[in-house]
Amino acid sequence: MSYILQTNHLTKIIDGKELVKNVNIHVKKGEIYGFLGPNGAGKTTVLKMATNLWKPTEGSVELFGKPLTPKSYEVFRRMGSIIEFPVFYDHLSGRENLSLHCEYMGYYHAGSVEKALEMLELSEAADKPVKTYSLGMKQRLGIARAVLVEPELLVLDEPTNGLDPAGMKHLRDLLKMLCAEYGITMILSSHILSEVESIADTIGIINHGNMIKEISMREISEMNTAYIRLSTADTKAAAYVLADKLELKQFKVMDARTIHIYDTGVSANDLSKTLAENNVVIDAVGKQSESLEDYFLKLTEGEGKVC
Amino acid sequence: MLKLIRLEWKKNRIGKYARNALILTGVLFLMLLTVAGELESVETRFSYGRDMLKSGVEMFTNLSFVIFTSVMLAAFIVGTYRDKTINLMFSYPISRKMILGSQMAAVWIFNFTALVLSKIAIFAALAATRRLTHISAQSIALGSGMFYAEILADSAVMVSIGFVSLPVGMFLKSSKAAVIAGVVIVCFTQGNIGSYTLMGNIPFYTVLLAASAVSVFASLYRVETRDV
Repeated sequence: MSYILQTNHLTKIIDGKELVKNVNIHVKKGEIYGFLGPNGAGKTTVLKMATNLWKPTEGSVELFGKPLTPKSYEVFRRMGSIIEFPVFYDHLSGRENLSLHCEYMGYYHAGSVEKALEMLELSEAADKPVKTYSLGMKQRLGIARAVLVEPELLVLDEPTNGLDPAGMKHLRDLLKMLCAEYGITMILSSHILSEVESIADTIGIINHGNMIKEISMREISEMNTAYIRLSTADTKAAAYVLADKLELKQFKVMDARTIHIYDTGVSANDLSKTLAENNVVIDAVGKQSESLEDYFLKLTEGEGKVC
Repeated sequence: MLKLIRLEWKKNRIGKYARNALILTGVLFLMLLTVAGELESVETRFSYGRDMLKSGVEMFTNLSFVIFTSVMLAAFIVGTYRDKTINLMFSYPISRKMILGSQMAAVWIFNFTALVLSKIAIFAALAATRRLTHISAQSIALGSGMFYAEILADSAVMVSIGFVSLPVGMFLKSSKAAVIAGVVIVCFTQGNIGSYTLMGNIPFYTVLLAASAVSVFASLYRVETRDV
């Protein structure tokens, strides 16, 4: 399969410190790829190498099927990016910044600046100097600039930083629309899982510089992600019943009142009945789906180890 | 390349620098107007030679525009590393050498032009006001081709020497350091200790020009493979 963006054993070492090691990511054409990891995991490092700002110590990056070299310039005509935070010429207006971007990109389409400003709801502030913009407005202007030239690939590093909840939702809707209507492929990094969960087709999880997992959202939902959530005041007695009476092996005491049961061979009804027969008072019992957050935590913190 | 230079001027609001250069020229003229008579006096000519007026104009314009060059290098190049706009520039489908080259050329062309025009304007204004200051017509040879050739050559050398401040600012990632380096260059090239001065010292200027060329080369060397 051909990928729009692919990294092969990407490694970056600075001053003897290994920032990322052997990272392999595969972004398919037309998909939204969520690049997840806690702060400091190495997301920005990988994205900097994918956009040629940093050069790999080892490994390689392929963009649009061709290896990225220090002299790969033309490929940037097909890309839009925000790495770390969007930077602007603060003394210029939002409109002037976007016009300059078009000039540097060699993109001349009448009305494109207006369209981008409108799309990101920045038309009213377009003629004000960027130094007067709020953090959220700068973030939106950065996205407007990234999508302005209708790129085939968008690389967005923590694009929702500084946005309020309404702004985040607007951005999610916009990214979904760009992907669906314009076929733009996206890789967006985030440590806010709920954002990625709602729009990503594939996720890559990185932690401590190592790529832990790359998996499609469909696969996550198809995996053994369902569990029974049991709430009781006496988790100790409940755990005894689960292990000894029901002979369950895959469950985990989450806190003083909650147990997650991952065994598939038991129903909530059987569970309630057996616990009641053994005098364990149940507050609530019900089937739950594992969220991306649970999956992420399981992978990054090893909290998924079951009893 | 010309388009890139034009964009550099546009995004750095070159009109503001042109206005400042104009104000600077006016201030230098007024200052020189007050000392022109003194520089042309018999005593001065006897002690220091006949070219003191010309030297005075060149010294003040050169030192001002070497510092001006450093200030512009700090804003056009060093500042872009500090405020990270260089990351944006390096995300464009343009070679990094071209980008940095256009930034340097934008600064050099502007300062060379401004310095030449400033010198010519000051000389012309001094010539126009010589009845007030009693300076002789021979001191300012506005009709001579050599006069203009000297201005062009001298201005090119001085603006180029100003580029020595670039690697200082780049290495220390500090615009202030670049400007201070410009002031230090001015002290060495235009200053004096007692009667000793390096002003007009051709071997010294040659060394500075070579240093300037090395500075430009060092700024461009392996820029394509550097992390930003």
